[in-house]
Amino acid sequence: MITSMRKRTMWRAGAVLAAGALALAACSSDSGSDDPSDEPTDGGTDSGSGEQVEIRFSWWGSDERHTLTQEVIDLFMEENPDISVVADFTDWGGYWDKLATTVAGGDTPDVMTQEERYLTDYANRGVVADMSTLDIDTSMIDPSVLQSGTIGGQLAGIATGINAYAIVADPQMFEDAGVEMPDDTTWTWDDFKEIAAQISDALGDGVYGVQDYGGNEAGFNIYARQQGESLYTEDGTLGYSDETLAQWWQDLVDLRESGAMPDGARSVEIAEGGPEQSLLGTNTGAMGMWWTNQLGAISSAAGRDLVLLRLPGESEHERTGMYFKPAMFYSISAETEHPEAAAKFVDFLVNSPEAGALILSDRGLNINTAVREAVSGQLDPLEVQAAEFLAELESEIVDGPPAPPTGAADVPEITGRINQEVLFDTMSPADAAAQFTSEAGAAIGQ
Amino acid sequence: MSVVSELRGMGGKKRGKRQPSAMRKGDGKAAAIFLAPWFIGLFLITAGPMIASAYLSFTDYSLLAPPEWIGFDNYTRMFEDPRLINSLKVTFLYVFISVPLQLAMALALALVLDRGLRGLPIYRSIYYLPSLLGGSVAIALLWRQVFGADGLVNSVLSVFGIEGEGWVSHPDYALGTLMVLNVWTFGAPMIIFLAGLRQIPQMYYEAASIDGAGKWRQFRSVTIPLLTPIIFFNLILQLIGAFQTFTQAYVVSGGTGGPADSTMFYTLYLYQKGFASLDMGYASAMAWLLLAIIAGMTAVNFLASKYWVFYND
Repeated sequence: MITSMRKRTMWRAGAVLAAGALALAACSSDSGSDDPSDEPTDGGTDSGSGEQVEIRFSWWGSDERHTLTQEVIDLFMEENPDISVVADFTDWGGYWDKLATTVAGGDTPDVMTQEERYLTDYANRGVVADMSTLDIDTSMIDPSVLQSGTIGGQLAGIATGINAYAIVADPQMFEDAGVEMPDDTTWTWDDFKEIAAQISDALGDGVYGVQDYGGNEAGFNIYARQQGESLYTEDGTLGYSDETLAQWWQDLVDLRESGAMPDGARSVEIAEGGPEQSLLGTNTGAMGMWWTNQLGAISSAAGRDLVLLRLPGESEHERTGMYFKPAMFYSISAETEHPEAAAKFVDFLVNSPEAGALILSDRGLNINTAVREAVSGQLDPLEVQAAEFLAELESEIVDGPPAPPTGAADVPEITGRINQEVLFDTMSPADAAAQFTSEAGAAIGQ
Repeated sequence: MSVVSELRGMGGKKRGKRQPSAMRKGDGKAAAIFLAPWFIGLFLITAGPMIASAYLSFTDYSLLAPPEWIGFDNYTRMFEDPRLINSLKVTFLYVFISVPLQLAMALALALVLDRGLRGLPIYRSIYYLPSLLGGSVAIALLWRQVFGADGLVNSVLSVFGIEGEGWVSHPDYALGTLMVLNVWTFGAPMIIFLAGLRQIPQMYYEAASIDGAGKWRQFRSVTIPLLTPIIFFNLILQLIGAFQTFTQAYVVSGGTGGPADSTMFYTLYLYQKGFASLDMGYASAMAWLLLAIIAGMTAVNFLASKYWVFYND
């Protein structure tokens, strides 16, 4: 017993040091948020409920998200003067390193933002609390969406909103090329390849039909689901055949060889640049695959309004493949000292119309149907388009994909890397499919 | 004992007769105080984490749950990991090509600057600058721009009618651009070479020229032999540094080691394993393998140095 305690202290000490180093490197706002959070002593405690508590809320994202989230926090603290919320944010890349290290150091944020591929890992290791035991009102949340955050019978996270993976297209580019916009309810993958090739042929050098989309496994998941397969099964195994995956990559090779898609080096460079450097964002391409909540960012980079289309092949096979993905989750630490305060804050984030009016669709289309109604008038035209697109999809979606299994957090990296092998022709689509299955299978412990 | 009382004690004894021995005693304590920050740093920031990582390397540790003892599993797994083998290839290739080139460059520039040019300190500073900046994120970002598809390098090439590639985003060239970055930071070894060149007595050159030795002969038979300890010193330092390359690879590849693992340095793979795959036990074992590799390389160098390093004493 004593030795195990000692071991625990030792590795914790090491982890705390590592966490300290990371905290120094990351742009934490601990100091920046001093102004609102250190105030409450000036009469804030007179609300009667007694002690002043402090909780920490962590999230990732852009500057825009940081600003609006701070506004939400300020609003919450105004209404709950006995709780102060400390902001703790980084960009997406640094978020998971930092979160894992703070957890290891015994300093888990009281409320944290999660993502589906990571949530399973955190839930299975007992890092996050079962939120169904806490005082959070979930009555206004669609049960199927609530289900997406349930892992092993516990409510590990409450979805913030929903997204769908879709084609973003530039109507202006179609018009310039003299190509008609497709009917996205009926177009096939062959139509898609043909249209992309027509556009690049018509518009000439340096302009392409479509940006490389092989680096995101969400697209393949839809492709597989259309054919009655899926990336993961309910049992946490891989649920597709290698032939399907090979065909998926073969389509990308065909697109590249026909000139409808940029070559390998160019594709890699564009992919690293995010929405701003994307073909659509730089007006050098007509189509790309993105999450619906990115429509605004890409449109503003492009300087014109873009449109959402369904992925091709939705009516080509036996069923549709598109699905709703919970954009992110709010989770509460299992070891928080203030579960009531943390629950109160999450309840505010999820159920308060005022918070909803600030967040709008930054964290996906709001899942609280009452809040969604209340804020619908404040959405900008692009957000309205995304909301309508998702509403239309709702009736077509057959089912939601199962939660990614433990270890799925490795799969995006594997997908990106093997897609590059295909891009540079160092692997044939068939070899790439076999390699992916072997690596992804190992990652999820299949 | 506080520093204040320590100083007061020293001041009080100054007036006494046993001044010398009291001073010596006080000096010892003062030394301990001044050394304390270094010792604390050594134990907390270096030794502590090292011991922790040695322990963790024998465990399955996800960061999220307490570590579980698994014996030598992490170490045996390393030999069956093709991506680890690939990362070793990338790292060795980088070390064996860029370090000799960097040292040659540093020596060449040192020889030029040693001729007593006017404004030498200015040149020295200019050439040293990249060494200060080389490991920084800003330079790595700049590198991405310079070697990008629409970057400076391709703009220059296009003047000559050559259409360049996206150098950092092509698996055949990405590692090369990082080697160029390393060679470019030749300033630190150059400064050391300059100091070494100044140490060589002028009379050897006079004697050599009286014997009819030309510039090249003087360089080969006087400069190089007398400079070998400095070359050796620089070689060891740069070798160790190059094995630990991380920032440049991380930033230039956007943290992926891509394209297609072509810039997946050993340290980058270690980082990915530890923080992205949450396999901190394996990452710790990798860190110890790296230590063994660097120690081994340094030992080989020391052994080999007997045959080529000449100490003039």
